[in-house]
Amino acid sequence: MGYEPKLVCFSCKFGWGYLRDLDGPKEASVFLIPVECSGKLDAIHLLKVFKEGADGVLILACEEGHCHFQEGNFRALKMLYLLEEVLWAHGIQKERVRIAFSLDPEGRGIPDRIVQMKNSLAALGPLDRALL
Amino acid sequence: MGEKPKIAICWLGACGGCDEAVVDLNEGLLEVAEAVSIELWPVAMDFKYDHLRNFGKNELAVGLVSGHVRNSEHEEVAHLLRERCRIIIGLGTCACFGGTPAMANLISREEILDTVYVKAPSVVNPLGKLPQPETEWEGETLVLPEFMDHVYALNQVISVDYFIPGCPPPPELIKNGIRAVLTDDLPPKGSTLAPRKALCETCARNKTKPIRLEIHGPIRRIHEVEADPEICFLAEGILCMGPATRTGCGETCIKTNIPCRGCFGPTPGITDPGSRFISSLAALLKVGTTGDPEAVMASIGDPVGYLYRFTHPVSTLGERCLRKATEETP
Amino acid sequence: MWNTVSKGTAAVERAVKQYLPPCQEQCPINEDIQRTNVLISLLPDDPETAAPAILQIGDYLYDKNPFFSVCGYVCGLCELECNYHAKGGAIKRRLLKRFISDTYIPHLETREEWSLIKHKENVAIVGGGPAGLMAGFDLSRRGYRVTIFEASDRLGGALWLIPRYRLPERVLTSTLEGMVRMVGMDVRLNTRIGQGKWTLEKLRNEGFKAIFIAQGTPTPRTLTFGRNQVEGQDLSGVMYGQTFLYEVSHGNIRPNYFTGKKVLVIGGGNVAFDVARTARRLGGETSIVALECEDKASRDGIPADVEEIRGAWEEGIRIIYSRGVEKIIGESERMKGLVCPRCVRVYDEKGFNPAFDPADTLVLDGDVLIVTVGQGPDWTALQEEGLVDGHGRLAVDPVTLQSRNRKPVFVGGDLRKIGFMVEAMQDGLVAAESIERYLQDRDMTEGRKRVFEVQDIPMRRHYLTEPEVVWIPPEKRMHFQLFERGFTLTEAIEEARRCLACGPCISCKACVSIGLRDSLNPAEVLTDRCCGCGICVSACFYSAIQLKDVDMGRISLTDAFKCKSCGMCVSSCPSGARTLGEDALEAALMTAAAGLQNSPGAVP
Repeated sequence: MGYEPKLVCFSCKFGWGYLRDLDGPKEASVFLIPVECSGKLDAIHLLKVFKEGADGVLILACEEGHCHFQEGNFRALKMLYLLEEVLWAHGIQKERVRIAFSLDPEGRGIPDRIVQMKNSLAALGPLDRALL
Repeated sequence: MGEKPKIAICWLGACGGCDEAVVDLNEGLLEVAEAVSIELWPVAMDFKYDHLRNFGKNELAVGLVSGHVRNSEHEEVAHLLRERCRIIIGLGTCACFGGTPAMANLISREEILDTVYVKAPSVVNPLGKLPQPETEWEGETLVLPEFMDHVYALNQVISVDYFIPGCPPPPELIKNGIRAVLTDDLPPKGSTLAPRKALCETCARNKTKPIRLEIHGPIRRIHEVEADPEICFLAEGILCMGPATRTGCGETCIKTNIPCRGCFGPTPGITDPGSRFISSLAALLKVGTTGDPEAVMASIGDPVGYLYRFTHPVSTLGERCLRKATEETP
Repeated sequence: MWNTVSKGTAAVERAVKQYLPPCQEQCPINEDIQRTNVLISLLPDDPETAAPAILQIGDYLYDKNPFFSVCGYVCGLCELECNYHAKGGAIKRRLLKRFISDTYIPHLETREEWSLIKHKENVAIVGGGPAGLMAGFDLSRRGYRVTIFEASDRLGGALWLIPRYRLPERVLTSTLEGMVRMVGMDVRLNTRIGQGKWTLEKLRNEGFKAIFIAQGTPTPRTLTFGRNQVEGQDLSGVMYGQTFLYEVSHGNIRPNYFTGKKVLVIGGGNVAFDVARTARRLGGETSIVALECEDKASRDGIPADVEEIRGAWEEGIRIIYSRGVEKIIGESERMKGLVCPRCVRVYDEKGFNPAFDPADTLVLDGDVLIVTVGQGPDWTALQEEGLVDGHGRLAVDPVTLQSRNRKPVFVGGDLRKIGFMVEAMQDGLVAAESIERYLQDRDMTEGRKRVFEVQDIPMRRHYLTEPEVVWIPPEKRMHFQLFERGFTLTEAIEEARRCLACGPCISCKACVSIGLRDSLNPAEVLTDRCCGCGICVSACFYSAIQLKDVDMGRISLTDAFKCKSCGMCVSSCPSGARTLGEDALEAALMTAAAGLQNSPGAVP
């Protein structure tokens, strides 16, 4: 029996739609959390999510140059460069955190992105939690 | 009561630096010795564990405990101390947060034992024998403490009443801590007996920061440059954990022209200073219009070691709990 | 998706501290530019889904500015001050409003009028141009019974001077009719006040308790050289630009009216260019003769807008700079040419004082001369009604617009001071407020002058260049249709996204009004945690944070007027000393945490 990866998806309201929480995915293994800006995300938020059982994190940020709050998306990118190192040191592969930079005002592409992410997580297999 | 309060100063997974800090009280030590009866101090006095076991429950007023917990002996002694002492003070960074040795949490137990006992260049161990918790020798059973797969901070094993951080803590802080206990002038349980704000609050270099602090180029390490002894390290592109680290150490490192490494751990309300600093660095690192953020980030050698040097066991990913469900707190 | 929530918290707040983005400060009526820009940027990109949302934005704009559709074709003052101007090009606000107006105008034509209770006094508005209509609109909403007295056969005043290739007729007529219908104003056309039958006294006797005079500037200025009238202005073939444009707007001029003719237009302002480009479209070989020079940076530079000059040049109109007109050459009562000495200087320390070099004179041939050197008010009427002072100038308080001589009379618009359409509208609003205060016997001047501080452009690495504005190729422009292409939905969203929302949240609140956020809480500092490290200052793109030395040491402070509640500083603070108050993110993470721990685990 294959495993169902648990995915937490943060999506920027200004770039990827903002009422998605009302009609978001209904699967039990996917958690969609809209935020005002991807730059608001703390390293600790993401680490906690892994600690609590997530197999992967997907961040949907605005396209470069189009952040409503100027450069929040760039802030998220910089933060991720460091975070990747921390994750890998704990046995969490970099591929388990993805950030996409695009504009999808009604969030129609979100379900596809989630499916893609889940497929790559499934290919990676369950997270080895030995060091967590 | 006429009797002097009894205290224990005990080490678990420790280097002895915290005990040295107590010794560094110098004349202050004599004052302490007059006010209390030091019943247990393995580094300075001879003792056996039975000595500790023979104390009654809560007989000792204070237990100053340094060192982390990473084997079964540490765990056992920690529990003994908790039962016998009315107040447990976690002394030093290892007790408070796990300390430097907790960097081992990123390496599996197997790999550690394998490297130390089999693979290290100076080791000759053709049969690959590893230490065992139990062995028979000449008709007797010899035991060794069990080596755990994780380094714990003290309060992940027993409940700790007060914390005095530092690697090592400044003697002044220790003296004040003991005095506070003896005069019963203590903050609420769980408090850290040190100032509440981060290092920048007291650092003389804080005012040398530009209005808008930005780090543009590659990060430099302190030995790679001639650091100006008066300018803020971050302003010069040298990483300093000061903003994420509690103050109280007297900026000993800063005054020796070495940036802060974070040994005093987090400020109140924060449990994981290393991870918090990731977001802070992301804010500070500017790369201009054409710079490459990845390259600048890559210039930080060993970010994991840098961020979690002293605090891995209390970090978000490193946190684990070894407390027994039936544990009593006085 | 677009879920307009009518919450009290979503309304724009009147700023306590006077901060505005520069565009809104520049706009004479302080339109909510930022708010509507942000709303447009959040429109769904599917035209069908977007349509109701566009109408909502239109309704919102209309509420404060019933002329907004016209502004979308003819204004754009805000763009001059846009912070983006120096960084890649001002936001094309005018085209954004035009985009909204294109969907809104049909809606406005069928929109149900407001049911207003008119329980207050009767007010007369003299002049049905933008100033008068705006005053009437505002007063009607306040509950006054407004009657507009318009001398000509239609409302709109000087707006009719604007050529059709810049302002489509339907936009103008629907706007004018809409205003009257929406608030229920009584309109008396073909009724000239201040002449014969209708005097101000008569208005008072008819029961009008206050009168707003905004008759505009119906009289074209004649051509002078030095102190004298230029001879020949009564020759056949000589006309005045203003009159000409009115005739065109009435449809009285046939399409090929100037075919085969050489048309000379005198004047250097936008109206002269309107005239020249209109004449060109009527088939004339057209030249503009301007007193001013080509260098717009100099004081003597030609006043017309750069776009007009470019458009005229593209359309084959010859622009002759630095020439005055000394004499009109006539033959058999017909105009034949002009004598044009070189103008060496237009302004000196005293003001307008042109000087000429008679040795350098040009003779220009022409069949038609259109004089467009400005217009003025009807002074006789004003004098008769006692509205001028001893020096022959209009005696009116500049702040309240109340006549100094006759208390129930208020004066505004071009009549008071020549300016843009929006400035006339501003006068209308000021007059409405003054009239209400006057009729309620309240203090006239308190709180009238509001001075605003403008906010800087937020920081970012890259600024985007403005989109190219598309004009029909000049050879295809010889008609009176619009030559400027407006935005498609996608283009409008993209351009609106470029707007950086420089101004404070309290004068915007777009995100709250559509349910994107619940509330806007400026970041707060927990002073018992803040060590003054300054990382938050670096984190903030809006320069909203400063470090300050206080009793307890150095701490950071947030300027609540600049804070956008984005949360960058909160996540950057190593001591966790900043907070946005109740945060939906924390709550969502807790729910996710519970779910992660409870959901079925991996079965390898």
